[in-house]
Amino acid sequence: MKNNTFGQYFPGNSLLHRMDPRMKLIVTILYIVMIFCAKNVLSFAFLLLLTVFLILISRISVRIVLRSIRPIIFIVLFTVVFNIFLTGGTGEPLAAFWIFEIYREGIVRAILMALRVIILITGTGVLLTYTTSPIALADAIESLLGPLKKIHVPVHEFAMMMTIALRFIPTLIEETDRIMSALKARGADFSNGSIVKRVKALIPILIPLFVSAFKRAEELAVAMECRCYRGGEGRTKLHVLHYRFSDFVWLFFFVLFLVSVFLINAFSPIKIAY
Amino acid sequence: MKNILELSHVSYLYSEKTPFEMQALHDVSVGFEEGCVTGIIGHTGSGKSTLVQMLNGLLRPSEGQVLLNGEDIWRKPKEITSVRYRVGLVMQYPEYQLFDETVRADIGFAPRNMGLSEKETEERVREAAEFVGLSESLLDKSPFDLSGGQKRRAAIAGVLAMRPEVLVLDEPAAGLDPRGRQEILGRLQEYRRERRASVIFVSHSMEDMAHYCDRLLVLNHGEVLMQGTVSEIFCDAEKIRSAGLFVPQVATVADRLRRAGVPLPEGLCTVESVSRELLSLLGKGGNAQ
Repeated sequence: MKNNTFGQYFPGNSLLHRMDPRMKLIVTILYIVMIFCAKNVLSFAFLLLLTVFLILISRISVRIVLRSIRPIIFIVLFTVVFNIFLTGGTGEPLAAFWIFEIYREGIVRAILMALRVIILITGTGVLLTYTTSPIALADAIESLLGPLKKIHVPVHEFAMMMTIALRFIPTLIEETDRIMSALKARGADFSNGSIVKRVKALIPILIPLFVSAFKRAEELAVAMECRCYRGGEGRTKLHVLHYRFSDFVWLFFFVLFLVSVFLINAFSPIKIAY
Repeated sequence: MKNILELSHVSYLYSEKTPFEMQALHDVSVGFEEGCVTGIIGHTGSGKSTLVQMLNGLLRPSEGQVLLNGEDIWRKPKEITSVRYRVGLVMQYPEYQLFDETVRADIGFAPRNMGLSEKETEERVREAAEFVGLSESLLDKSPFDLSGGQKRRAAIAGVLAMRPEVLVLDEPAAGLDPRGRQEILGRLQEYRRERRASVIFVSHSMEDMAHYCDRLLVLNHGEVLMQGTVSEIFCDAEKIRSAGLFVPQVATVADRLRRAGVPLPEGLCTVESVSRELLSLLGKGGNAQ
């Protein structure tokens, strides 16, 4: 339970930690656009370098970043297998058996696709989830979506729901841990037996978990009302977000990177596209 | 006296090798005597709950050994469940962990896991329920329909149904009214007596500790500060205070009386013993003042 690092915030004071969360969201979007626009080996190499650079300056241990790949390893393998076998090519196939033929293009494409998924996960991880506290992230989303309030979208309420949901994830994990420990103390076994048996073993965890989650929701609602919470109207913030000069430097560089990717795509001397 | 459970040089780190790493226990060596009621005290975050979860193998020490009857419980990690049947652990606020459709089924969870027959299970459920004072009519209700105190009893019964040699409880009386506390803690002593078992429990109430325990273990910042008999521990009020704890009020009263010249013996920490001593002093000469 506790090893689930995907989407977990690691406090720190690196350059990435200090970036304004709104700017982080914006540059993350630019970063994702870059990844999906990259078209050939050279632009992928450029993105790989950029991602390694981001991981290094985030000062998050490389081991932890790599661990975030574990949950998606299946998707990566799937991508690789399909691309290797199903990509047609010009010229002679490198290998062929039954109805499958493997071309050089297929292998290149498989590697690039796998790379795309991996740098997507690790890069957005260090840009956003590992270096931004969930609360700051919710604040940033609320602030960026602010203009939608004009057309009566309840932005604040959505952000509050998100904050509360994020806030209670660790609590629920802790609770799950506790319930599992209590069941283990009474001889429950979660790691052995058939799939059916293991799924059945989850029922004793889910029931108390739901009961206490509903109870907690009600208590939280009462506590919020006791403190006169009435939604976003006229509400001020304790931590007001301020863009700093360095945030715009980041923005400038990311726009520059995006333009570079387009340029590399267009004028690459190496013409191995997929 | 022989030690039924023993920790030898046990350390425990939470979230090892991450920025959240935290040392909960540091080089803890303690023995729990067979047939004793041992209390564990310490301020919040002193490592009590971590230590308690070591005793039945819910947590595995980062370093050191846990010995049950002189045998390392982690010698065969696959058979750790059998250790959990011998060392019954009731966690904090166990009433939030009830899950089954009826109280009967919930208490029977552990016996069924132990592979006992339906008949045997039924017998153990009835015995455990009776022991904690749950009436037969409650057994077919949903655990969610019980009152707070009844839920707590049902949860404790769920562990007693294993008939553990060592019963470990993490704050069994937290959040109960004075009468509920008295009843539950009284039952623990009764369990020890009837089954010749050992009982270990955590509490924040020094009065309860003085009243129900034979021996005490004081933890401070993940280390053992003191261990010994109740009167030994409460005699050293200075040291107890240094750990952010207090001695029972009546021990302070006795201490002040002694300093004022009343010839009370040392190591008195229950209301009963102090009043007995005072009455005998008064009876003897009537001029104790």
